[in-house]
Amino acid sequence: MDTQEIQKKLENAEKQAQEYLAGWQRARADFLNYKKEEMERIGEFLKYANEEFILKLLPILDNFTEAEKSIPEEKKDNYLKGIAQIKKQFEDFLKAQGVEEIKTAGEKFDLNFMEAVEKEEEERKGYKMNGRLLRPAKVRVTK
Amino acid sequence: MSKILGIDLGTSISKMASIVNGEPKCLETREGSVLMPSVVAVSKTGERIVGILAERQAITNPKNTIHSVKRFIGRRHSDPEVQKELKLLSYETRERSDGEVEVKMGDKWYTPIEISAMILQKLKLDAEEKLGEKIKDAVITCPANFDDSQRKATKAAGEIAGFNVLRVINEPTAAALSYGLTKKADQQIVVYDFGGGTFDVSILNTTPETVEVLATGGEAHLGGRDFDQRIINWLVEQFKKDNGLDLSRDSLALQRLKEGAEKAKIELSSALDTEVNLPFITSDASGPKHLLYKLSRADFDKLTADLVEKSIARVEKTLAEKKMAKKDIEEIVLVGGTTMVPSVREAVKKFFNKEPNKSINPEEVVAIGAAIEAEILRAKTEGRAPEGDIKSVLLLDVLPLSLGIETLGGINTVMIQKNTTIPTVKTQIFSTAADSQPAVEVVVLQGERSMAKDNRTIGKFVLDGIPPAPRGLPQIEVSFDVDANGIVTVTAKDKATNKTQSVRIEGSVGLSKEEIEKMKKEAELHADEDRNKQALIEAKNTADSLVYTTEKTLKEAGDKVSADTKRQVEEQIEALKKVKEGDNTDEIKSKTTELQEAIQKIGAELYKQAPEKKGPEEGEYKEK
Repeated sequence: MDTQEIQKKLENAEKQAQEYLAGWQRARADFLNYKKEEMERIGEFLKYANEEFILKLLPILDNFTEAEKSIPEEKKDNYLKGIAQIKKQFEDFLKAQGVEEIKTAGEKFDLNFMEAVEKEEEERKGYKMNGRLLRPAKVRVTK
Repeated sequence: MSKILGIDLGTSISKMASIVNGEPKCLETREGSVLMPSVVAVSKTGERIVGILAERQAITNPKNTIHSVKRFIGRRHSDPEVQKELKLLSYETRERSDGEVEVKMGDKWYTPIEISAMILQKLKLDAEEKLGEKIKDAVITCPANFDDSQRKATKAAGEIAGFNVLRVINEPTAAALSYGLTKKADQQIVVYDFGGGTFDVSILNTTPETVEVLATGGEAHLGGRDFDQRIINWLVEQFKKDNGLDLSRDSLALQRLKEGAEKAKIELSSALDTEVNLPFITSDASGPKHLLYKLSRADFDKLTADLVEKSIARVEKTLAEKKMAKKDIEEIVLVGGTTMVPSVREAVKKFFNKEPNKSINPEEVVAIGAAIEAEILRAKTEGRAPEGDIKSVLLLDVLPLSLGIETLGGINTVMIQKNTTIPTVKTQIFSTAADSQPAVEVVVLQGERSMAKDNRTIGKFVLDGIPPAPRGLPQIEVSFDVDANGIVTVTAKDKATNKTQSVRIEGSVGLSKEEIEKMKKEAELHADEDRNKQALIEAKNTADSLVYTTEKTLKEAGDKVSADTKRQVEEQIEALKKVKEGDNTDEIKSKTTELQEAIQKIGAELYKQAPEKKGPEEGEYKEK
């Protein structure tokens, strides 16, 4: 092989090495971007993944609320105050999970978030989680 | 080919990372956390425990629980600094015959090297279990100010643990490597490392081949734990004021306060206020007492301002020692969990008047850098790829701001989202906005705002010679190609004629960090307003194209549509045209829906009149 030929071969090899390196970089960048998209998808999924679990916790909160309502004012001592604070902790936890109470008093009846009941005893708080309905509020509708 | 570990052997916490599926990643210990306390203990039953389990039993077994051993590794017992440290310990120590430190655990004496080896061995075993293979090689990090004997001791600890220690590298160097900051020639970097118990600052000079430590400084006892303590003190004070009881003398209450304080600190990194809620914290003759206080970020900042100030003063001093000015520093890297505190980040940014690098988890960044160094060394020795190439593949950049083009109505249609790893390519088909439109102008935008005019225009060109056609019919393929150096090539191709036009934009990614941050902030600030504007324009565009198709359908249908329907539809078109000029998105949308329903009526009438036509058309289709 003469020098010119070797020169040409070297140039070709260098060019090819550049192309391969660029291809390698692209393959890796594609993979990383794919992973980012997957993570986003999973993140979106996780946002609601606890839904069922939290739905099952709500009756416990309902009972807390009922208990609190039924205790006469004069019986509310320091022990009960502590229990009420635990209820608040529970509520704060739900809030941190994206759970919020559906506002009903004075609002227009919205069948997307509310269910009509007849008697006051049947009323129940409703909740949304990250903007999506978790449990409809049971409300008495007044015209 | 077995995996290599990158290990950040810390004073209070250690971490490990490896290249998994081509990407550096921190590995979890068996107990499920990437953060492993650098604590070793011998339990009352004589069992040796390491990591989180050792920390959990520390209170009940302080004499046999060894922590912070890194403070003594490779140092002499007589060293005045060591003497000072020794006074703070809960376990026994003594001087060895060779002048080094020894610690007592159980009924035996150990050197700091042996204790460190136990920590490293635990990491090794957990990594092997996680990755399902034996691990031989490791890169271990150490503080930049470690002297030769401390480095040798660190290496020896690795070897006792069963590793082949490829290299002991500086923690700040590893952090800079994680961010790929070693690619540029001759730049000064400050690594601000605010950990759980120590604060370190290093000034580095980097070139693609070397990293030189210009100066180091630090505070041996300043860290996240001091931040927690400030919250605890504040809670104790408040409680004393309100209830007259001193919680600091109640060890059970103190333990709950400690947990509550740490939780509050972490929450305040993202929230503006938080609550410390600890019912039944203590009791007196009158019954139980409950603790419930709201702590705002502003209050927290006030409580800890002097701690942050102390770290900044140390940075200033270290710069002065090297006779360097703030403006000489091109990059700042944040390391350590405490840099997640917003006031700390803010203080660093304010001091340097520059946005620090913080996108990689500051608790993991050193271990990740060590894993990258390990992979580079490995690839080189195996002859797999030259150092430069493996670096250029492992340390790909991300796009700092989104890239897009201007579309109908002045909307910024994003082609490549910010934070996309480059090199990358994205192609999308666009069309014309008017009948017989002969050319399209491609305006390339950079930024996060919805409206084109609020972003930076980084290039534009015209693709002409589009054959006359109704609007929406021509297919213009626009592709964005960003190479590994951030050079953007935008190409537009008319699919009918294959006519192509393109523009190459260099240095578009090279905005300064401040400019990028400013643009991102503005986008956040205007997010709602922008979304509304975009929704309005999109509604207008939909209305516009519906008016166009309806008018066309009416014209083509001619007298096949009853005069009644025709008049009704025309009225609705007029109504839509009128609201379309206004700015009421909802109204435009509702009128659009009405017209859509009306146009279906025309469709129905047309079909009713030509039922026989339907058959043959279908037949024709089938024959093809």
